[in-house]
Amino acid sequence: MTAARRGAVALALVAAVGVAAVSGARLSRLVAERPGEELLYLPNGEQLRILSLGHASLLADAIYLWAIQYYSNYEGADRGRYVEHVFRGVITELDPHYIDAYWLGALILIVEFGEIDAGLGLLDKGIERNPERWILPYLAAWESHHAGRFAQAEGYFRRAAALPDAPPVVRRAQAGMRTKAGDLDGALALWRQIADDPRSDAGSVAVARRQLAQLDARLELERLERAVERFRAEHGRHPGGLGELGTVAGVRLAGGSYAYDAKTGKITRRSARRVVAGD
Amino acid sequence: MSGEVAAPPSPLAAIRAIALNTFREAIRDRILYLLLAFALGVIAVSRLLSLLTVGSEEKIIKDVGLSAISLFGVLTTVFVGTSLVFKEVERRTIYTLLANPVARWQFIGGKFAGLLAVLALNLGLMSAVLGAVLLLRDESPWPLVPAIALILVELAVIAAFALLFSSLTNPILAALGTFAVYVAGHLSWSLRLLADKVGSGLGAVLCEGLYRVLPNFDYLDLKASAVHGLPRPPGLVPAAAAYGLAYAFVVLVVACFAFQRRDFK
Repeated sequence: MTAARRGAVALALVAAVGVAAVSGARLSRLVAERPGEELLYLPNGEQLRILSLGHASLLADAIYLWAIQYYSNYEGADRGRYVEHVFRGVITELDPHYIDAYWLGALILIVEFGEIDAGLGLLDKGIERNPERWILPYLAAWESHHAGRFAQAEGYFRRAAALPDAPPVVRRAQAGMRTKAGDLDGALALWRQIADDPRSDAGSVAVARRQLAQLDARLELERLERAVERFRAEHGRHPGGLGELGTVAGVRLAGGSYAYDAKTGKITRRSARRVVAGD
Repeated sequence: MSGEVAAPPSPLAAIRAIALNTFREAIRDRILYLLLAFALGVIAVSRLLSLLTVGSEEKIIKDVGLSAISLFGVLTTVFVGTSLVFKEVERRTIYTLLANPVARWQFIGGKFAGLLAVLALNLGLMSAVLGAVLLLRDESPWPLVPAIALILVELAVIAAFALLFSSLTNPILAALGTFAVYVAGHLSWSLRLLADKVGSGLGAVLCEGLYRVLPNFDYLDLKASAVHGLPRPPGLVPAAAAYGLAYAFVVLVVACFAFQRRDFK
């Protein structure tokens, strides 16, 4: 090869590298200008399952890893547009037993984008496809709890607690959630079950007894408040003291300490004691 | 002068000799380099995962490992299996071989056994690397064993097809045909759907017929259930293995007939 020809080849190489670099930079700018568009044409899980030729689970992993990287990047205003499609329509269709994908997808939907119903919907799909896994209703319960939906949370905890592999903490959480949902009698019954169940571990029994004492006291206070209210309705005034309440309204106190303000009829508890009967 | 003539070797001895030769030849075919690349790949992936994923590290390692075992196995089967007969013809060693008291079916049987031994070694080494990676993470590799065993059965079916096509045509067409069987075997369920869509008539009969004739590799796919530790119906693995091995045997018999009819003049 002559020197001139070598020089021409070198020049062509340098030119090709330059064109590639400039075009690459231009392309990266063009792509960056259209965030989220790459997801527009992502096929659904059923179509991808056909293309995967028996490696659907591997494909689910690949899209899951990609999704983690994609949603970890906080740039782009509308990056939440296809979250449900990616996790519900693609990853969990390719691998219906992918527990982490249900959990992470729900977390992104709820925490990142405030889509509580979509997030719980994804967890519901996971529960339906994996009815033996307690972790999904357990996670759904906590997400419902964070959203202030205590009755819904109690329902999820109940489903989780009914599964054979559920750890003791699930039943305790269910009882706690009944309290938060306002079902004090139901909570009392559940704590009593936990305390009396010979299969309960020592930790659960201790927690259950403590909760029972607190709930008893709370229920007693509520009954006293209702008795004061009833007394006022019947006699047109508040009772002069708790003694009068006991004598007139038939409320028997099991012994203990309450502070009572006869002017306002307000009762506050100083220490726990029980209403025996007659409420 | 003695009138004794050397007795022809027993069919099994001939098959064993051809299988051993096929095995040695295939081992020199740089398959072990492929295995090493696989081993390093799995280890690298397991290292990378902790950086890339949120949970699921073990699941992803198992998925990647099983799929790699399957895909590398298919590649080995296609590239080695489809050239087995062709090489003998091209190098004209087939004439020497068939001049000996070796039946053509023994030749095909020996080639198949040799190829299967290579695939088993291939699978064993890859599985050992995957097992070691899992053990390093305190994960038991044993639940994956049935899935790996059925991958070997699937490879046996593909190897039988590779030999069939290798007996009929050149390596490129044979590789295309074998790969087409692999794809069709994973999509055969769609023929049933197609038959339902077509409804009745020749099209439906054709779809139904193809569905019954083509191998159904979904029967041999336990990867997902092994990774998730899902319960399996009792007797599933032996039934799937019996299905695959019987299918491979039938294809091998067809390959023997095809090779029997081939004219080497």
